[in-house]
Amino acid sequence: MRVFAFIAASCLALTGAANAQITGTGDAEDLAAEIEASSAAASVPEADPWEGFNRKMFALNDGLDRNVMVPAAKAYRAVTHKKQRKGVRNFLANLRTPVVLVNDLLQGEFGRAGDTLGRFVINSTIGFGGMGDPAERLGIAQHSEDFGQTLAVWGVNSGPYLVLPFLGPTTVRDGFGSAVDMTADPAFWITTDPATYYRLSRGGMNVISGREPLLEPLDSIRADSLDYYASIRSFYLQSRKREITNGRTNFEDLPDIGDFEEFDELD
Amino acid sequence: MRTLTRRSSLRLAAASLAAVAFAIGPAAADDAAEAYVQGILDEAAPVLSNSDHEAMLDGIEGIVDKYVDMRRIGRFVLGQYARQMTEAQEAEYYPLFERYAKMIYRKTLADYAGGKIVVTGSVDRSERDIIVNSKLANPEPGSAFANTVIHWRVYRDRDGGQTVVDAGADNVWLAIEQRSQFSSIIANNGGGEKGVAALIAELRTRVNS
Repeated sequence: MRVFAFIAASCLALTGAANAQITGTGDAEDLAAEIEASSAAASVPEADPWEGFNRKMFALNDGLDRNVMVPAAKAYRAVTHKKQRKGVRNFLANLRTPVVLVNDLLQGEFGRAGDTLGRFVINSTIGFGGMGDPAERLGIAQHSEDFGQTLAVWGVNSGPYLVLPFLGPTTVRDGFGSAVDMTADPAFWITTDPATYYRLSRGGMNVISGREPLLEPLDSIRADSLDYYASIRSFYLQSRKREITNGRTNFEDLPDIGDFEEFDELD
Repeated sequence: MRTLTRRSSLRLAAASLAAVAFAIGPAAADDAAEAYVQGILDEAAPVLSNSDHEAMLDGIEGIVDKYVDMRRIGRFVLGQYARQMTEAQEAEYYPLFERYAKMIYRKTLADYAGGKIVVTGSVDRSERDIIVNSKLANPEPGSAFANTVIHWRVYRDRDGGQTVVDAGADNVWLAIEQRSQFSSIIANNGGGEKGVAALIAELRTRVNS
């Protein structure tokens, strides 16, 4: 299940928004809208009408992953120390603050918006420009948001599962959300050469830093799966739902483990 | 809505009455299921701290054998196709599934080597279908799994007997993921008996490799 935790925490990494984060327990506020949004999306479990296209894109991404990303992530691991990599992850996550903040606000999560802002101030200063995470020790846990989640909270259904070339698993809603999130980043609006260079290197670093902790988990999933594509699809959709409800669980929409009556006859 | 027997409907009615009377929310905790899972976790603790890796894996398998209802899970992961198998296929599929699922459980639980897992609470989906939550008691400082919730899905039969029918972490479930794979393989190989045959062939290669 460590594999699960990794996957759950980093499916976003696979979609390019590389920043693993851990579920906060969150305060139980009015969740009706969120839970409704997530269960509406779950009413048709794993609808994948574009499976043919998706599988082709998945194969393309998988080839790229094996030939480019995995070697890069391994090299990165070889030349850095665990603590340095943690620093890099913190640093990259800190850079994502504007996007998280905008989406916290759009979702009406003002407490979480305050957390995001507080973390940014604390970590950018006494956290050495975001490399450290003193805010965590002060009890302000990291969380992530994106526009796909905001749309979900607003009641937009996920639409079909979609695998985008180079970007990986997403849904129609969340893919659109990723595009919007790009524009929430101040660097997006600066077109000078240094800004472009910054965006590209940061993007590359996001990918490598996000892939590195997944080396073993994804290897193991690939090795154990009968159908790697279907495995990843399920991991993505399940953990995405968790992201949207900010980890506040709703077990009602889990499928029943079999029809109980039918099973009773087996006993 | 699942169909209920008269007996369990009555029980459910009684339970709802009790719930109204005591103003309990619909998703109440379930002490019996929590105690059941804690018992399993207590039994697993010494196994997980065994320094001999192979012995630990065998120990895990013993516990899985004892508490996990592989037959029920095996049927669940087939989804709609469970009814489309021939008897011969059933006879072949279930033992293969059991070996495959055990292999996955062994690996997954081995990740918690040296750790102690404690029950933190539960939510009942119905009186016979309970989610028990747990977490690492003493995670290493700074561990990414310190906040990970490990779930156990407990099924209770009519006589009150309990078994584990799924496990997960942070709302990502093992059997649900397996169902996604299995139904996908069956569907992509023509569905029905033919698709099931393809799945069985896949499983056979996997557990024998």
